[in-house]
Amino acid sequence: MSIDGELPKRQLAQARLGNRRGAVMEFSAADTCLDIQGLTLAYGGKTALKDLTLRIPRHRVTAFIGPSGCGKSTLLRALNRLHDLNEDVSRHGQIHLDGHDIHDPRVAVAELRRRVGMVFQAPNPFPMSIYDNVAFGLRLQGGLSKRRIDDVVEWALKSAALWDEVKGRLRASAWSLSGGQQQRLVIARTLAVEPEVLLLDEPASALDPISTLKIEELIRTLKPHLTLVLVTHNMQQAARVSDYTAFLHNGELVEYGPTDTLFTHPRLRRTENYITGRMVG
Amino acid sequence: MLLAVVAIAVFLLVEVLPLFWPDGASFPLEALWSSPDVSGEPEYRWLPHRLDDAAVPQASLAPLLWGTLEAAAWALVVAIPLALGAAAHSSLYMSPGLRARLKPTLELMEAMPSVVLGFIAGLALGPWVERHLAQSLSIVVVLPAAVVLLALGYRWLPDRLKAALTLRWAALWLIPCLLLLVWLAMSVAPMWEGWWFDGDLRLWVEESWGLDVQARNALIVGLAMGFAVIPGIYALAEDALSDVPRELAEGAQAMGATRWQTLTRVMLPVALPGVFSAIMIGAGRAVGETMIVLMASGNSALMTASPLDGLRSLASSIAIELPEAAPGGSHYRLLLLAALALFAFTFLVNTLAEVVRARLKRRFTRRKGDA
Amino acid sequence: MKIPGHTAVGMPGKRRTREGPWAWLAAASVALSLIMLGALLVLLSVKGLSNFWPATVHQLTLKSGETVIGVPLATRELPSGQGLERRYLTANRDDGGGIWRWLANDQITEDTTPEDLVVLERRHWGTFLGRLVALQSGDQRLTGPDAWTVLESRLKEINALRDERRRLTHDEILPLIRSMEDQDGHRSEDRRLADLQRRASELQQRMQGDLVVLENGQGRRQEQALAETLEAWRPNAMAWHEKLGHWVRELWQFLSQGPRDANTAGGVWPAIFGTILMVLLMSILVTPFGVLAAVYLNEVAHQGRLTRLVRIGVRNLAGVPSIVYGVFGLGVFVYGIGGSIDRWFFESTLPSPTFGTGGLLWASLTLALLTLPVVIVATEEGLSRIPLHQREGALALGATRFETLTRVVLPMATPAMLTGLILAVARAAGEVAPLMLVGVAKLAPQVPLDGEFPFLHLERKFMHLGYHIYDAAFHSSDVQAAMPLVYATALLLVTVILVLNLTAIFMRHYLRKRHGAPVRR
Repeated sequence: MSIDGELPKRQLAQARLGNRRGAVMEFSAADTCLDIQGLTLAYGGKTALKDLTLRIPRHRVTAFIGPSGCGKSTLLRALNRLHDLNEDVSRHGQIHLDGHDIHDPRVAVAELRRRVGMVFQAPNPFPMSIYDNVAFGLRLQGGLSKRRIDDVVEWALKSAALWDEVKGRLRASAWSLSGGQQQRLVIARTLAVEPEVLLLDEPASALDPISTLKIEELIRTLKPHLTLVLVTHNMQQAARVSDYTAFLHNGELVEYGPTDTLFTHPRLRRTENYITGRMVG
Repeated sequence: MLLAVVAIAVFLLVEVLPLFWPDGASFPLEALWSSPDVSGEPEYRWLPHRLDDAAVPQASLAPLLWGTLEAAAWALVVAIPLALGAAAHSSLYMSPGLRARLKPTLELMEAMPSVVLGFIAGLALGPWVERHLAQSLSIVVVLPAAVVLLALGYRWLPDRLKAALTLRWAALWLIPCLLLLVWLAMSVAPMWEGWWFDGDLRLWVEESWGLDVQARNALIVGLAMGFAVIPGIYALAEDALSDVPRELAEGAQAMGATRWQTLTRVMLPVALPGVFSAIMIGAGRAVGETMIVLMASGNSALMTASPLDGLRSLASSIAIELPEAAPGGSHYRLLLLAALALFAFTFLVNTLAEVVRARLKRRFTRRKGDA
Repeated sequence: MKIPGHTAVGMPGKRRTREGPWAWLAAASVALSLIMLGALLVLLSVKGLSNFWPATVHQLTLKSGETVIGVPLATRELPSGQGLERRYLTANRDDGGGIWRWLANDQITEDTTPEDLVVLERRHWGTFLGRLVALQSGDQRLTGPDAWTVLESRLKEINALRDERRRLTHDEILPLIRSMEDQDGHRSEDRRLADLQRRASELQQRMQGDLVVLENGQGRRQEQALAETLEAWRPNAMAWHEKLGHWVRELWQFLSQGPRDANTAGGVWPAIFGTILMVLLMSILVTPFGVLAAVYLNEVAHQGRLTRLVRIGVRNLAGVPSIVYGVFGLGVFVYGIGGSIDRWFFESTLPSPTFGTGGLLWASLTLALLTLPVVIVATEEGLSRIPLHQREGALALGATRFETLTRVVLPMATPAMLTGLILAVARAAGEVAPLMLVGVAKLAPQVPLDGEFPFLHLERKFMHLGYHIYDAAFHSSDVQAAMPLVYATALLLVTVILVLNLTAIFMRHYLRKRHGAPVRR
């Protein structure tokens, strides 16, 4: 990460351009993991995202906040092309992952989704054993020996801070776990295929406070190893875990900047109103 | 409602029971299965008209049972792949707009009166297949093979064509393709018939396998009845697949699974009981179907495994013989026994299917409550 | 992601990124199902409708010198594999018996379509194909083009007279005779009958007197009474709009007339009428029961184990084969209840049964039982769609539960009930198997509704479109000759059922839009 003044001129210009509405970002193009350029998404004639441009830094936690229906989840799902599942979605603009356009027809969607993992709001373990859940992604790839899979499953469960709780009952149904455990299992399942980016769509909104804390802790431990993007309703959570925060409203990017700055000195009235709770839903 | 079910059951039981009363009509129970022929070998013959004057009653229900099951089995052979394929395709791949239209269209297919299906099968399709055996076989072989080739060759299509011909709309643009293939299959048929079967497949089948191809046979019945049960199986199986929580399918795809992998590894295991009950209900319908079997099967009570022979089912026997059987006589009671068997079978199958479905539904709602 | 102590899995190249052939086979199965449905509908429409189109009549000269007049039909390969042969409808059953002829293509030396070939639809012996030689009317003998014009106009008159006579017989003479059977003859009625019969025979007289002299392909002449001729046309001389007119007329006759020639010709009006009447009766029987049961299940009954059991029972009832319903109807309604009614009220006519045999009432009852689940399920779905707050709103205004039910809930659920009823009607119209046991007839010249007391004859047998298909296709003397009419009947039945189903589908679609998805219980 560099300081504004040290950036070469071109990169600085690029960084400014990348944040038409927000603050000047403090990372270089080389540190950009996801680069969203003028993204507009509409489904069924209704525009969900309007001309969004922002860059998401590598190995940091970026949070998207905003009232319900502001488009933050839509944006998140766009990052691993889950919208391909929907019919009438029209899209303009590009998303680059490490400099490669993810909408390039030569990109295999399945491979993209392997690299950009996603964890959903409600825990969605598959109806199989804990072990099989974690091994799911590995088996999709095929060509891995039994021992190798065992190793990876153990590693993934450890990485997700779940190993100690489940090591004795790997063959039990995943649905027998508690909500918080299920969510960590889902994270472990995603980690097992070694993604570069992890998208988290309100991962703790269905969980109790203790489970939520565990998830947040996990996010912090994972940060040095992969890029995390978090959508959350919970202002405190965003403040606690994220390095950068983007505030979206009505499908537009209102303000984007380092979390500390955004929460303590928001540049815009709208942002301030929202984070202080004067603008609801 | 329960009353109606009970009423039917009670009526049938009351009418059938005298058959087994020792002092009632003297009807040996073994005869229901088989009766000895002249040399003492068991024979399976359904000749109820000679019940009263024959020394040994030849009224074995075995050939009728066999016919019923054979017809239902062939119907399921036709219907299961098509219906489940259609359910899988429409729940995972198809564009929602098209899917909203496909469902009522297949409902129309279900509404087709069976007497019309039986008529077409027995008088139009049957004779055609009998005359064009090679062409028919050719279609059956060429279609799936060609679709697989298409799937393998799809990646080499130019990008622009790929964009126009997506899996999402495949159900529509495949129609002209398949029609073309049907035409192709029919036009190459005489060629290979000449190469491998001396120019006449029918004669060849007769000479080398000893099978006589009849215009009205089990395969034709299976095809027509398959047509009749496809929509039912499709609708229930599709429901079962769409009832699988969305998050599961999305979760699998977010892991990089293709949609087919999502289907086979995540959705199908979950929806399996529902799919199973769909098949059961389809089987129930196929077993009880009357007009199609009556019109397309030739109604000969044979017990042969050859799909090219005719058959006679319980339901069609009832339809043909009951109006002529004297009420209270053995023949009448035998036919009522047949009806009871049909009733009991479908009742069991349907109850099982319903229970399985209800359990599946509750499982999901409970899981949602936990989360 | 790299974590210390862990070596990367590395992505093997084997990874599947495309949908495999199975996905395509699944797509193809949808397409194939649609093709099958489409093919069926196209086949029915083409075969069913083309039958009424006045086909071109060909005159063929064979190598043997023989001349054949016929309408070309199917073509197939010769058994020997050399060349094709074609089947011709040569009609003229009175001339040699057969009405079909297979001719190899290479036998034919000349194939023409002269304009003067006529087609005659006759009351006996079926169709005639040939030439008109002369029209003999009394002493007058007309030949050439005049004969044709006079024949056409005369035929119109005769047809009008025939209709008049039919009306007279059915509406006046027959009821009069029946009423006279019951009571001892009155002078005045005797006189009226004699008068009517004289008028009828007068009409008959006026129809007769004309003879048509015809010539068939071989040049053999024959005479045909014009009174026995139903219609005559010259297809080769007709312009397309005349053909269209002829087609519409034939179609209308098919719908409005009774069958002739052992169900191989003529129309299907009695079958249409019987089907409609039976379905109407069934609706009257099934609606109150179905709706009451659904209201009870959904609104009144405690939602517990028992109601769940009953729901399963209803679904089960829908899955019971229709033939079992037929057996039940035969045993309980016909032999049981009908037999008792006969013993108590119609003892005088025994042993010939009145209600103790299949009839309209029993058929309607059986089908009502058969379609009960359809109505219940549809109505229940409609009821469960009505949001709870609607009911609570009415209750909050001080309405009793009963008032809420009748003023708020039922009116809102009416379209759903109608949907259920339409589906029930569609199902009943296509059901044949149970009817074979409880009251359908091969040929029932009397429709069960007429001007005679009590007007609606519940005990009579009736004709049914579906059974008509089965009967004409399998039990007629000449299946080939009956085929076109069977196709037409099948098309009619399918059309009726599809229209009913489409209506139901659209109503349901509209309901879903208005009320949203059903509330699951």
